[in-house]
Amino acid sequence: MSSKTMVQSMNEALYSMMAEDDDIILLGEDIGRDGGVFRVTDGLQAKYGENRVIDTPLNELGIVGMAIGMAMYGLKPIAEIQFQDFIFPAFDQIVNQMAKIRYRTGNQFQVPMVIRTPYGGGVKGGLYHSQSGESYFVHTAGLRVVTPSNPYDAKGLLVSSVRSGDPVIFLEPKRLYRSIKMEVPDSLYQIELGKARLLKEGRSISVITYGSMVPIVENVISKNNIDADILDLRTLLPMDLDAILKSVKKTGRVIIVHEAPRTLGLGAEISALISERAIEYLLSPIMRVTGPDIPFPYVNEEIYIPDEKRILAAINSVINY
Amino acid sequence: MSPLSNISNDQLIEAYRNAVRSRTLDIKIVNSQRQGIIGFHVPSAGQEIIQVALGMLARREDIIFGYYRDLALLIQRGIPLDKIIDQLLGNKEDMQKGRQMPDHFSFKDYNFSSIQSPVGAHLPLAVGAAYMLKYKGREGIVIANFGDGATSTSDFHAAMNFAGVFNLKILFLCENNGWAISLPTEKQTKGEIYRKGEAYGIMGKRIDGNDLLSSINGITEAMNYIRDGKGPYILEAVTYRIGPHSTSDDTKKYRVDEITDGSEKDPIRRLENLLLSMGILDEGKISQIKADAKREMDEIVEERRKIGFPDRSTMFDDLYAETLWIQDEERRDML
Ligand SMILES: Cc1ncc(C[n+]2csc(CCOP(=O)(O)OP(=O)(O)O)c2C)c(N)n1
Ligand SMILES: [Mg+2]
Repeated sequence: MSSKTMVQSMNEALYSMMAEDDDIILLGEDIGRDGGVFRVTDGLQAKYGENRVIDTPLNELGIVGMAIGMAMYGLKPIAEIQFQDFIFPAFDQIVNQMAKIRYRTGNQFQVPMVIRTPYGGGVKGGLYHSQSGESYFVHTAGLRVVTPSNPYDAKGLLVSSVRSGDPVIFLEPKRLYRSIKMEVPDSLYQIELGKARLLKEGRSISVITYGSMVPIVENVISKNNIDADILDLRTLLPMDLDAILKSVKKTGRVIIVHEAPRTLGLGAEISALISERAIEYLLSPIMRVTGPDIPFPYVNEEIYIPDEKRILAAINSVINY
Repeated sequence: MSPLSNISNDQLIEAYRNAVRSRTLDIKIVNSQRQGIIGFHVPSAGQEIIQVALGMLARREDIIFGYYRDLALLIQRGIPLDKIIDQLLGNKEDMQKGRQMPDHFSFKDYNFSSIQSPVGAHLPLAVGAAYMLKYKGREGIVIANFGDGATSTSDFHAAMNFAGVFNLKILFLCENNGWAISLPTEKQTKGEIYRKGEAYGIMGKRIDGNDLLSSINGITEAMNYIRDGKGPYILEAVTYRIGPHSTSDDTKKYRVDEITDGSEKDPIRRLENLLLSMGILDEGKISQIKADAKREMDEIVEERRKIGFPDRSTMFDDLYAETLWIQDEERRDML
């Protein structure tokens, strides 16, 4: 046990899993010698060699497609896409191949692989180094979509993703890569996929969030002494429906906070699930606090990301409804 | 025929001056980034000569699709410095309203198209522009610049194939600077970049992009071929990325610098030596050009810094021909 950042805890997870399982192969741009532009794979090529930690040419379609082929034939690839913004050249491979192979072959083939990719804004990255594209993937049956919000979860969720036997999109909130340090066990451990974490218990409102927004939400709630449930989803597909409904039935008031744009963001799905299954428990409308429906701008990026003022305003309007 | 028979001494001095101005600005931006004045930069240091040569030979009506490491090309193209600095700062005068990262320019008035981050994504767009030229019977060609890394993208191959099939007037100019972040070109491709057009029926050649004469010769030959309607052309200009990939990059892990700023292999130094030997420049003139560039860049950054940032509400503009209720509502709720 020692204090680690998310980058360190994931690096450790990869290091240990590779030691245990020769079939795990890493591939991506600049992940080898350079150790990845965010250093998540630092030192792994030196340890495991160029054939297991592969610096690929610049082609995301190639990276993902090759990983799928590896996975169909017994390897366990973990691909890195340098920024989630650059995953779109591989979108066809993800949606039409990766997600559908188990299904279309009647389960003759499986695709046990993980695509790790940093997402979200707040690093002055402008339009193409800031996007939160989880909805594109959550809309695709056959994928699992996971996003950690702290170093401990990052390690456990990454291990579970690799061992899940399914294709996983693993979204890493880049803003949190080094901003949080916490005690993380040195050995491997798992955190069950599909299970949310109730990170604070309260009675008056349920705040449902995940990934990059978790620390901001926590801060707003504690600073303003709000008697809230805070639910960190951790897995976006499948969502932890039981945890959501349990909290909502207790509090009767809900806000959903995410950085991704509002239209067809996860908030829409969460809100629909609650409306269908627990509307009689609601004491006020469900509200979303999200990024706006615009590209992520370079200047004024702080306005894009939901902040204390907007989150608090939503909480107050729901509580005082 | 002398390779430079069409180029006057004044043009050569101008090319040298612009290469120096570009390098000087590059250094100024990197320093400004360290001071927190400019957020980010992709240095062009080492690639000025091929860019300046291209800028000299590109005509006004030619449409340029550059990429994010083309500072010297912008300067040689005659794009005013204040417009360049405004984009880097993302200030109120920035034509793109502060929306894009530094070095992601668009200057429609100068026939300089829009730069984006996704590597290679502009190449099919350049083909579309070339089709427009053909369809409308307009003068000019399209010039598309990109790095060695971009030649691995699917976009590059789609663009080459389409350009060949439709026999378009387009110059693909690869600035092979030896690296794609940490990946050396020999790991990017097993083949030769200038030969990547062959299978698409596209003519190709490799030139020394760090030498002005070789660059001018190669580009002239390619442009004549294209303007004559013989088809697309790919030039591989061998050059060198003197600095890190960007201000966020640290090269220590993956390379030793083979060419450094101001050394004898520095392409600007090579041009300097050439012009000295031709008697076109002397040491006094060189010092003058460098001092002038330094003063010019210091002054302009200082001046443009004083301009404020774009109004926050502008971030909701320009998504559609008319604003939708969605953005109108978000603008109202968020500001
Ligand atoms: C599609 C895509 N993938 C990855 C990246 C991240 N990235 C930015 S620049 C770069 C290397 C580009 O190298 P090259 O094309 O040689 O141009 P250079 O930067 O050397 O001028 C990479 C991998 C990106 N911008 N776009
Ligand atoms: Mg390069």
